[in-house]
Amino acid sequence: MSWRADGWRAERWRAELVAVWAFALRSLLMASRNIFFFFELLFWPVVGVLSIGLLARFLQLGAPETSFVLIGTIALSTIQVCQLEVSYAVLYDVWSKSMKHQFLAPIGVRHLTTGSWLVGVVRGLLVFLMLGVLARWAFGFDVLAAGVGDLFVFLLGCFLTAWIIGVLVCTLIVQFGSRAEASAWATVNAVLVFAGIYYPISVLPRPAAAVASAIPITYFLDAYRTHYGFASEFPLALTTGLGLSLVYLALSHWSLVVAIRHARRNGQLLKMSG
Amino acid sequence: MSAIIARDVAKTFRAGWIRRRVTHALRGVTLDVPRGAIFGLLGPNGAGKTTLLSILAMLLTPDRGTVTVLGHDVVREAAQLRHRLNMSTGNASFLWSLRAEEIVSFYARLYGLSGRRLRRRVDDLIELCELGPYRRVLYNELSTGIKQRLALAKSLVNDPELLFLDEPTLGLDPDVSVRIRRRIATLRRERGMTIVLTTHYMREAEELCDEIAFIKGGLILAGGTAAELKRQIALGDVIVFRLDPPVAAWLADVPGVLRYSERDGRVECVVDDADKRLPALLEALHAEGVVIRDVRVSEPELEEVFVELAR
Repeated sequence: MSWRADGWRAERWRAELVAVWAFALRSLLMASRNIFFFFELLFWPVVGVLSIGLLARFLQLGAPETSFVLIGTIALSTIQVCQLEVSYAVLYDVWSKSMKHQFLAPIGVRHLTTGSWLVGVVRGLLVFLMLGVLARWAFGFDVLAAGVGDLFVFLLGCFLTAWIIGVLVCTLIVQFGSRAEASAWATVNAVLVFAGIYYPISVLPRPAAAVASAIPITYFLDAYRTHYGFASEFPLALTTGLGLSLVYLALSHWSLVVAIRHARRNGQLLKMSG
Repeated sequence: MSAIIARDVAKTFRAGWIRRRVTHALRGVTLDVPRGAIFGLLGPNGAGKTTLLSILAMLLTPDRGTVTVLGHDVVREAAQLRHRLNMSTGNASFLWSLRAEEIVSFYARLYGLSGRRLRRRVDDLIELCELGPYRRVLYNELSTGIKQRLALAKSLVNDPELLFLDEPTLGLDPDVSVRIRRRIATLRRERGMTIVLTTHYMREAEELCDEIAFIKGGLILAGGTAAELKRQIALGDVIVFRLDPPVAAWLADVPGVLRYSERDGRVECVVDDADKRLPALLEALHAEGVVIRDVRVSEPELEEVFVELAR
């Protein structure tokens, strides 16, 4: 009987991967055919790095301080591009009024968010690479100074944060409909203001610093910046950041499941469909 | 054996924060849909047809009542059901930048299809719904009729046992509507699918449906086959005579005659049952020496039943 159970398990896994791939492929196709995705990928990130780098030059900041703010702006762009891709998983259906069709199918939110997140990771890596080259060329900032391993962990932190914010945005959209669309572009900025994007969180007022210490990317930024001459503000920064990420990831997915259940109850799912 | 058993299903929508608006969309619907049947839900706008269909398709949760679909409770056992049913809507909408075949493939993947099976299913559906020339056309560039056929193709990706069609021929040209109706009939005949459809077109309902339920104000007012509904509403059959002399007002007193009228030189009698009453009428006319030039018998149109119920 075990071969039968193995076959069933294999079939389940295959179906899981196929559903994830469906969303990933859809995101890829949409991204390749809509001009505004190129703007997201090229225009705003480049503008961000150039303006922050030039501001640092004008203020005559030293190399460590320049690195500090450039890390912040590169992280912001990388997270935002990846997070938007996750949010688009729901936004596409809101814009095209096709929401009900995917929730009619035997899929879970994990398929929707994972597929789009994977494409977001690819797009985020492209942005990071491009901004890294630009920052090196224009301002002499080396993203690899921390070493490949630590850079990998930093990027992992960025992408996990993007995943969490993206799923939370999806929750808001499912809950409140197109009125919550703006959250797709606003949320990441709000989060990073608290997380110490251009400053250490020690400069924040105490209540804001408390909020910052509950945000995973705060810890990943802190750990990465230690390689550029800044002392860590937290013991076990990476462990804390990773732990918080996993907890929030589970909570954000749970909130999306609850929002969809609620949307099935109050008819929001139908309102967002043709 | 029933594909759908709904008992006392109610649904109320609430909207607005300050001025609370409450809409009682369904007020206690009870329904049985036999397996393998085409079942029609008819009713005026805002009657609750789409709400009921959405509850049956698990897109909405009922506030009250129980719904069993293919032997499973739609609230507690939704996961076991989703891969066995599907839905197509008349005003369906899909992602604007995807090609027709990509849309079908996307939804097929959500039902677990991949590789050769996926390609074969997509090809079959493209052929079945005559989408061949449009398979690489972006959704935005398709006409309404083609979009409707695409919606139908999408609803068949998982070869569902139960198919919901919400206004499948809404806004289509008559020739396209006829083709879609034929396709729906073929699906039931060849695949034994149970189909529940909502429509505004009485001819469509009469042509396709084995059973029909009339819904209004969130309640089912009448149900049965088209013939049964006509009997239930007691609109009667119409017998039209061309007589010489052309007037026979005394026919109004013959047992079974519900209404008598004269129009364009013809005499029209509405009777409770034409089969039963026609011989007596012919006999009475003959006895009075009236010459019968022509006789025609017609059943009332379903549309008349609809108008009567929607009143």
